Amino acid sequence: MKINLKELTIEKAHESFKNGEYTVTDLVNEYLKVIKEKNKEINAYLEVYDDVLIQAKKAEEMFKNGTATLMTGIPIAIKDNILFEGHIASASSKILENYTATYDATVIKKLKNAGAVIIGRTNMDEFAMGVSTENSAYGVTKNPYDTKRVPGGSSGGSCACVAMNGALVALGSDTAGSCRQPASFCGVVGLKPTYGSVSRYGLIAMGSSLDVIGAIGKNISDVQIVFDFIKGQDKMDSTSISSEFYKKKIFTKPVIGIPRDFIKEGVDDRILVNFEETIEKLKSAGYLIKDIELPYVKYAVPAYYIITPAEISANLARFDGIRYGLSEKADKLFDVYTKSRGKGFGKEVRRRILLGTYVLSHGYHDAYYNKANAVRKLIINDYNKAFEQVDLILTPTTTGPAFKIGEKINDLVKMYLEDIFTSPANMAGFPAVSIPSGFVEEDGKKLPLGIHFTAPFLREDILFTIGKDFEKLI
Amino acid sequence: MQLEEIKKLANLARIDMSEEEMKEIAKDFDSILAYVRQVQEVSVKQDLAEKKSEDYFLYNVMRDDVITNKRGEYRDLIMAEMPDVQDGYLKVKQIL
Repeated sequence: MKINLKELTIEKAHESFKNGEYTVTDLVNEYLKVIKEKNKEINAYLEVYDDVLIQAKKAEEMFKNGTATLMTGIPIAIKDNILFEGHIASASSKILENYTATYDATVIKKLKNAGAVIIGRTNMDEFAMGVSTENSAYGVTKNPYDTKRVPGGSSGGSCACVAMNGALVALGSDTAGSCRQPASFCGVVGLKPTYGSVSRYGLIAMGSSLDVIGAIGKNISDVQIVFDFIKGQDKMDSTSISSEFYKKKIFTKPVIGIPRDFIKEGVDDRILVNFEETIEKLKSAGYLIKDIELPYVKYAVPAYYIITPAEISANLARFDGIRYGLSEKADKLFDVYTKSRGKGFGKEVRRRILLGTYVLSHGYHDAYYNKANAVRKLIINDYNKAFEQVDLILTPTTTGPAFKIGEKINDLVKMYLEDIFTSPANMAGFPAVSIPSGFVEEDGKKLPLGIHFTAPFLREDILFTIGKDFEKLI
Repeated sequence: MQLEEIKKLANLARIDMSEEEMKEIAKDFDSILAYVRQVQEVSVKQDLAEKKSEDYFLYNVMRDDVITNKRGEYRDLIMAEMPDVQDGYLKVKQIL
């Protein structure tokens, strides 16, 4: 049986399961074939679970007994920082190399109940710290469009996996752009939902005031379906919110705001050309475009690289070599801590923990951490003001197409600036999406580009509406 | 940044590191801190004066302190992850 995975959507697969064109096992086997063929080179998956065919059989039962949902039998990959009971979850770190999850993340519980087939765990930057997957302890993931290039990060494995047709959809996590920047580099759709709209119970924490679990797929409709299945308030995550938490503005057609001043500097010319074409397309579809100002948004990345390391240094204190994970032998307790953490954490993780320790230390706390939090409030103000005039904010997703493996590894600030267009949505908590917007050609390879919409709190619906419209225009 | 300061931070963060890496981090810190220091040029007070704290949706979420799982429900799973166990206890190096 040959199934056209490239053109497959959740709805099409669901129809085919229902009318008996093929079974869940047939579809899962097709994906396993692709993984076998491509994963060795791409390194999108760290592990394909050994129980996928058992999961497929369970899904088939659900179709037989009439309890099937739209997600039943849908092959989904998960980022390696999401806990799936009885399976290893390593956050691409040596410190959790042999850690078996003792419980299901809420998103996993929801996917299991819906009958989804969880195929495997995908590569990422260690503890989600990075923009290229080059910080994984298990080797870089390669971009399926050009294997000399990075897939972006930190959810690079999840995006590459969908792009290479190694799963129909995937889960990622997004702290500064980790679902959207790799989605842009890999030519797929990446959604970062509203902060708090998806439970993080069972997500290995990085920056708790920013982290959110997101969905990745080949098109908006698939991403919307996954989001609808994983969202919702959860008593196991006190930072999760109900869909009524924020007031919603009523309007007929969304007005799109462009922060022109913010998009000028440091952006590849080809991105700017693609961006102007995008604007023209949206205009031709009847969307009203307005220039807006976000004067403080340029401080989002510097403030992010104070707040996030601070939260990292606190969150990663739990990895101590005592209760779980890597434990190095030593004579004294103190040395068990330092040796386990020294050996278990990779270079970027060690660097960020130290940076966080520094910005929180006595004498520097006000100048860095408190100041960055104040700046963060100004950024939120900027957005709230802008959303009084417009309903969506449009920027490119990235400053350029996927870069080469190793190209930026020695320039930390350049690497950090990868998140310039995506991190503001995390700093402010708004939902945002990256949608494919075309290609550029380099070294004879087609490299995908993406555009980035940000919406007011809990207005993922506007992102989906405009996303579907935009997909028709391209 | 001085090497001594990095040594102090590594000690506080409980991370064993080679001196070579600490030297490297000291250099990295110079460029990272120069970059993030931009936030210090922002005058915050004026811009925030008009805003009240409730505009930022920050409040405490409380719940009753009740046990939600059965006694021992996760014990075996959790113990299986422990590096050193004796007689049903987690074993650690001498503390005092």
